[in-house]
Amino acid sequence: MTAVHSLNFDVRKGTVFGFVGENGAGKTTTLSILATLMLPTSGRAYINGMEVTTEPGMVRRQIGFLPDEFGVYDDLSVREYLAFYGTAYGVEPALIDKRAAELLHLVNLEDRSEVLVNSLSRGMKQRLGLARSLMHDPPVLILDEPASGLDPRSRIEMREIIKGLREQGKTVLISSHILPELADMCDEIGIIQRGTLVACASVEVVNARVSGKRHFLLEVMSEGHQLAELLSRKSKVTEILKVDENKVEFLFAGSEADQVELIHELAMGGFQLKTFQELGGSLEELFLRLTAEEDAKAEPIPKMA
Amino acid sequence: MQELGNRWTGKWINPLLRKELRQRMRSGRTILALSLYLFVIGAVAFVYMYVNVQGQTLILQPARTAELFTFLSYLQLALVSFVTPGIASGVISGERERQTLSVLLTTPLSPITIIFTKFISSISFLLLLIIMTLPLYSIVFLFGGVLPSQVLAVFGLQIVTLGAIAGISIFFSTLLRRTGWSTVFSYATVAILFMGFAIFGYLFDSVGLHSADESVWMHLAGICYALDPIYMQAGIETNLGLLSPSFNQSIVSSVFDVVNSHSLSGKESWLFFLTVYILIGVILLVISAWRLRPGSLTMVRKRVIRWMAH
Repeated sequence: MTAVHSLNFDVRKGTVFGFVGENGAGKTTTLSILATLMLPTSGRAYINGMEVTTEPGMVRRQIGFLPDEFGVYDDLSVREYLAFYGTAYGVEPALIDKRAAELLHLVNLEDRSEVLVNSLSRGMKQRLGLARSLMHDPPVLILDEPASGLDPRSRIEMREIIKGLREQGKTVLISSHILPELADMCDEIGIIQRGTLVACASVEVVNARVSGKRHFLLEVMSEGHQLAELLSRKSKVTEILKVDENKVEFLFAGSEADQVELIHELAMGGFQLKTFQELGGSLEELFLRLTAEEDAKAEPIPKMA
Repeated sequence: MQELGNRWTGKWINPLLRKELRQRMRSGRTILALSLYLFVIGAVAFVYMYVNVQGQTLILQPARTAELFTFLSYLQLALVSFVTPGIASGVISGERERQTLSVLLTTPLSPITIIFTKFISSISFLLLLIIMTLPLYSIVFLFGGVLPSQVLAVFGLQIVTLGAIAGISIFFSTLLRRTGWSTVFSYATVAILFMGFAIFGYLFDSVGLHSADESVWMHLAGICYALDPIYMQAGIETNLGLLSPSFNQSIVSSVFDVVNSHSLSGKESWLFFLTVYILIGVILLVISAWRLRPGSLTMVRKRVIRWMAH
C-alpha cells in the first residue's frame, strides 16, 4: 500500500508551513520520512539542502521533531529530561543548563524544572516535548499534530509559542487538524489527500485558486443597502454574501486592478468607505471543497462481488 | 562537586547510558529486586551451612565447602539466567510501547550506540547482582576447599552466559513489537540453551551407544553439552581441581559424569563455548542495531550510486 506518492513541495526558510489532511492522508508518513524515521521507496527529500536518505545523521542535527504521539521518561525530572536530549544532540555540557532554562521559560515551565515528568499534565508534556525538540537549536522544526488533545488554553499557548519561533527565524512544518489555528499561524499550507498534494500556497491564494473568487468586506458609514445594490450591478462582483446597515460582504472575481477601480468608483459615487478588507476564506471550508473535488475525480472503489 | 561529577560523566559516559543507569537505580523495583536476590542467595547459603556444619564451625570440611560453592554457583546461574530476559527483553520494545523510541531515533545517537548502550545498562545491573554476592562467596573461603580463581572462573562463565542471553533478549525486543512476546521468546531460548542442549546431548549419546559409528554421535553430543552453561560450569569446577561434590542426587552426579566422559573441562570445549556465546551476543546485537533503523544499507547503496555517478 502506498501512503504517499507524487508529493512535491518546498517550505521557505523562516516560514510556518501547515500540512493539512484527513486521517490516513499521508501527513505522518511524510513527516516521518523528513524526520529520517522512514525511508521513501522512491523520490528525494531535502532539509537545508541535505538529502534525508543519504545524509540522515546531518539531517537529524538540523531538525527538531515532535511526533503526534510521544512518551516521556517518567522517572526523570524536567531538567534531566532536557539535559539528556541536549547531551544526546551534542550540546556542550556547560551550555545545557542555560539552554534548558531558556526553553523552559519559552514554554512556560520554568517553575517545573525539578518535578518529575510524570507529574506534568498532557499540555505541559506537549510543551516540554516542544522544548526538547529545540534543545539543540535546530533551524527546522517538524511538528506532527502538536495541539492534538490539548485544551483550548494549551492550544492557544502552543500557537503563540510557534508564532514566537517563526519570529526567531525557525522554519516550521506543522500538521494539524485544527484548521482555524493553522490558518492563523501559517504562511503557507499544503493540503494532502490520499498521499497526494492537492494544493500548496498561502491560504488566500489557495482559496482564490479553488474558487476563482476573493471574499471582501466593505464597511461604510450608513449606506449598506445602497452599496449592495450598486455592487450587485458590477460584473466582477459575483455574489453578495451579507448586507446590513454599514457592512457588505461579497465575492469578487476581478484582478487587483479591477479591485482598485472598484474602490475608486465607490469613492466617486459618494460612499464614505471605512474599511475595504479581503477576508481569508475559512480553511475548513477550503479544505472540504478541495477534498470533495478530489473525491469526485477519484475512481470509485469497485464493490466486492 | 555534584556539578563537577555531572560534567565528568557527561563528557565520558554516553548520555543514554547515564540516563538508563539513573532511571534504573532510581526505581523502587530495582532496590526491591536487589534486596530479594541477595536475600534468596543469602538464605540458601546460610540454611545450607547450618544443615551441614550444624554449629561445628571449627571443623574444616573442604568437601562440604566445595558442595556449598557448587550449589551457590548453580543457584546464581539459575537466578541470573532467569532475571536477564526479564530485564533485557523490554529495552527496545518498551521504548516502542512508551512511544519514546521515535524521538530517540531522531537524535544523532547511532543505532549501534543505542543497542550497545541498552546492552551495557542491562548487563551492568546483572553484574551488580553477581558482585553483590561476592561477600557470600567469601564465607566459602573461610572453610577452604575453593580458590578465588575458581570463583572468578565461575563468575566469568556466568557473565559470558548472561551477556549472550541479554543479546538474545535485546534481539527479540527489537524484532518484536510487544514486550510480552519478546519475553516469551527470550525465555524459550534460555530454555533451549539450558535444557534443549542437554536433551539433545543425551539423545546423541543414547543413539551413539547403539550405533556402529559411536564417535560421530559422541562428538555431536559433546558439541551440545559444550553449548550448555550447566555442563560448562561443572567443567570449571572439575578442571580447577575442585573436589568432586559428594552429592547423592543422580542428576547432579550425571552432570559431572558427562563432563568427564566428554572432556568438557578441556580448553577446546571452553574456547568453543566462549567463541559461540560471544559471537551469538555480538551478531544478534549488530542485527538488532540494523533492525532498529533499517536504512543503513539503502544509505550506503545511494551513496555508492551517487559516487559512481560523479
